[in-house]
Amino acid sequence: MTQASQRPGEERRFAPDFLLELFSNPLDPGYADAAARRATYGPKPPWRRRGALVLRTMALAAVGFLLVVAWREAAAAEPDRTSAHAGLVDEVKTAQERTDELQVQSDRLRQEVRVQQQAALGGSAEELARVREREAAAGLAPVTGSGVVVRLADAPVPIDPTTGKPSGAEVSRVLDVDLQAVVNGLWAADAEAISINGQRLTSTSTIRTAGHAVLVDFRPVTSPYEVSAIGPDNLEARFKRSVAAASMRELVDQYGLGFSTREESGLRLPASPGTGLRYARPAGSPSPSRGVR
Amino acid sequence: MIAFLALIAGVVAGVLLEPTVPVGLQPYLPIAVVAALDAVFGGIRAKLDGVFDDKQFVISFVSNVIVAAFIVYLGDQLGVGGQLSTGVVVVLGVRIFGNVAAIRRHLFRA
Repeated sequence: MTQASQRPGEERRFAPDFLLELFSNPLDPGYADAAARRATYGPKPPWRRRGALVLRTMALAAVGFLLVVAWREAAAAEPDRTSAHAGLVDEVKTAQERTDELQVQSDRLRQEVRVQQQAALGGSAEELARVREREAAAGLAPVTGSGVVVRLADAPVPIDPTTGKPSGAEVSRVLDVDLQAVVNGLWAADAEAISINGQRLTSTSTIRTAGHAVLVDFRPVTSPYEVSAIGPDNLEARFKRSVAAASMRELVDQYGLGFSTREESGLRLPASPGTGLRYARPAGSPSPSRGVR
Repeated sequence: MIAFLALIAGVVAGVLLEPTVPVGLQPYLPIAVVAALDAVFGGIRAKLDGVFDDKQFVISFVSNVIVAAFIVYLGDQLGVGGQLSTGVVVVLGVRIFGNVAAIRRHLFRA
């Protein structure tokens, strides 16, 4: 073969194109050298040949051993990975089911509270109406009215131009600050009740990013985000003039986020599952006539 | 024949002993396997070429495994372990392919 043509003592050099050499000539030149040595000096003495045989046998046994060990490792790692994944999926599903269950329970209890309230107030229509109004203002009761729906959406998944498939590039996402700015803009435009994807906001609501999800009151909401707000008739116009809307339009230009507003009558915003106050206590007289507003 | 038996003996020993690889060595195992395969195919080709040499084979096997593992270790320390692993696999893969092609020419004359 080509290696055998190498003359003993001929200086071996790497070709200028080392990679080409690597591709065309993959045999260790050492074999050719050894063959050349044998040709020059004759075969090795028997004791060396026997030693070499032992060494070769041991090396081959080591190769077999290595193969088995590697195979066992790979085989052992695989079920680990899949079972861990399956376990996590199960855990998430169980947690979601539990959340749904608790949500249903909470809704039922709230209904019960309402009934009890009605009973306690002795059916006084005036008192009841006042409580309702307070609750609605605080976000603890569902409200209806006309207003505006602001729609925010993550930028579409970038398509790889060569493969035509979704590329792995990071998607431009709507962040918590964007939602916060929009909500603040709506409040500033005199909105009276706001919900994000059906999550009603209260005075203690939080909007924040955790990883790739936005959490509203610790519940994940996902794109597209629909911020519904009930407010005065000119709410949409006022919001569109706000700084928040202007900065969102800029984000649309720069990152391709989705942003649109539409007026809608007969919006219905749900009650917040609000936990109530745990640490703060109402200050001053309990008289209902001297409170907020 | 002896070579084949030795290989089988190694496999059997691996199956029977059920060795556990220390966690620190696990990343180097696949690379070591590829390096060992390179040495084995190089040896088979040399055998068919009629230039096989025991010393050359043993040294190429041991040094292949050690150097490959060392390169990956170095890459890990430098933070480019994945890329260097890929490099090692590509180079050894090319050599394996070349040697297997030569073996094929010997065996099938094609």
